[in-house]
Amino acid sequence: MSSLVCQRQSLRFRARSYMAFAITPRAPVVDWLADLDANLERSKGFFAGHPAVLDLSGVNLRAPAIAHLVAALEERNIRVLGIEGVDPATAEPGLPPVLRGGRGTPGLEAGERATAAVTGRLAPQRQSLASLLIEDPVRSGQSIVFTEGDVTVLGSVGSGAEIVAGGSIHVYGTLRGRAMAGVNGNARARIFCHRVEAELLAIDSYYKTADDIEDSLRRGPAQAWLEGSTLKISAMQ
Amino acid sequence: MNLLKLWQRRSAPVARERLQLLLAHERSARNQPDLLGVLREEILDVIRRHVAFEPDKVQIKMDRGRSVSTLEFEIEIPNGIRISMARAS
Amino acid sequence: MAHVLVVTSGKGGVGKTTSTAALGAALAHDGDRVVVVDFDVGLRNLDLVLGAERRVVFDVISVINGVAKLSQALIRDKRLENLFLLPASQTRDKDALTEEGVAAVIAELRDRFDWIICDSPAGIERGATLAMRHADSAIIVTNPEVSSVRDSDRIIGLLDSKTVKAERGERVDKHLLITRYHPARAARGEMLSIDDVLEILLTPLLGIIPESEEVLRASNVGSPVTLNNPLSAPARAYFDAARRLRGEEIAMHVPNESKGLFGKLFGRKAA
Repeated sequence: MSSLVCQRQSLRFRARSYMAFAITPRAPVVDWLADLDANLERSKGFFAGHPAVLDLSGVNLRAPAIAHLVAALEERNIRVLGIEGVDPATAEPGLPPVLRGGRGTPGLEAGERATAAVTGRLAPQRQSLASLLIEDPVRSGQSIVFTEGDVTVLGSVGSGAEIVAGGSIHVYGTLRGRAMAGVNGNARARIFCHRVEAELLAIDSYYKTADDIEDSLRRGPAQAWLEGSTLKISAMQ
Repeated sequence: MNLLKLWQRRSAPVARERLQLLLAHERSARNQPDLLGVLREEILDVIRRHVAFEPDKVQIKMDRGRSVSTLEFEIEIPNGIRISMARAS
Repeated sequence: MAHVLVVTSGKGGVGKTTSTAALGAALAHDGDRVVVVDFDVGLRNLDLVLGAERRVVFDVISVINGVAKLSQALIRDKRLENLFLLPASQTRDKDALTEEGVAAVIAELRDRFDWIICDSPAGIERGATLAMRHADSAIIVTNPEVSSVRDSDRIIGLLDSKTVKAERGERVDKHLLITRYHPARAARGEMLSIDDVLEILLTPLLGIIPESEEVLRASNVGSPVTLNNPLSAPARAYFDAARRLRGEEIAMHVPNESKGLFGKLFGRKAA
């Protein structure tokens, strides 16, 4: 045994939050898998690269069945990083860890793609860089969700409309609605607009509502970014 | 110009009359649902017993009045003879 | 070539039915064959504004259900021979309006009329979406007031997603009609300006209709304002709007306080 006394560095534990898809199977699982396959047909890369959490509260499965389901999902390229909605006693070494305390997040529904939400004329640009370009104003009540990257709007975003992006948001017009950037945990995402009259600005779940946005910033070009856990907004020249 | 207003009847009383009439008819229609429909079918049945005609060649006009309502049937009967019946109630 | 026009707004009480009647009468007066269709099932109003309430026998639902033919349901205006009304049902509710039924009625109307003007109910539910479904163009009626403007924005979004044209990848032509404009309030800065509204809604302006007692008077007596008092300010504004619908270029008149004088003339278009 070595007589050297090793200086140990204290282990540092940090918490990280990630946004994951919550997959909720329903009985009968076979039918549900068929539906899933149909959905995957329509939106091929939908789960690609995104971790998924398996919410088993809607079904009654024992460990072997759960393992079988996880394997079935892996075959479909869906990586399960955890399971929830089960008795922790069901957990077994081979299975993904049981998670607790998951919180829902808006705006990620299978089948509701950003391009379909706007107009039929928009050609999906999913093959190229992860960036969505919207050439028309976004009207009140419309919701643009694009978790793969940046969203650029050539026009204004109406009061009551919302843009949700995995990357940054660029509005070449007046932003009157809600803009939520960096929703996948990308704290470096920013929001840019020609005029800020927004109802809500958020980057990676840190947000400011209209009340918190200084009057002096309104009516001119502005950008928002995250400094630590503070959302900062400043005028741009 | 104000000249127009002098001889033009004040519009609110006109509105009131129209509403009273209309609502009276709508309320009674609620109690006797589809009186018109019943009347129409019975009258057409009677005519059908005597003469053949096509259902879409029937024009029905109505004018609901204060004391008298007019229900007018215009039916085109083959050979081009038009029979027009007016029935007051 | 028939043109289907929807008059819509989102917000209630801004002047859809008044405008439908006024524009329909203006177009018919200038020679086109016009039918105005009331889509407000259960709360019909178009018959009242046109003064035809005593003559309603059949309605859109009767036609859809096969109880009556279209020709039996259409009510001809007593003053304008080119103007017809297809009333809404007062006793049924909006579920009686089916998509196929409406499509069939509109198709049949296209054969007989130059203009088919659909008076939409307020809201964004079934009645409103059915009214806009087959539209070639839309008139979005807006008051210079915050809720009306936001609701109009919502409706514009729906026009780009819930219509047959949008589903085919084409555009419904949109026109903004500002109603209940009050020059004094605008001058005092107590009413949203035309520019404010245009900047938010980004839709070409069809016309500006001033707030006026004439509109109430016309509705009281059951005659569209363009027929009842064609020289009044709102009527003249509606006539101009009708001409613009036909493609004529008419300088936009912004109503002002001075009676009898024409206000400043601008050529006004939104980007």
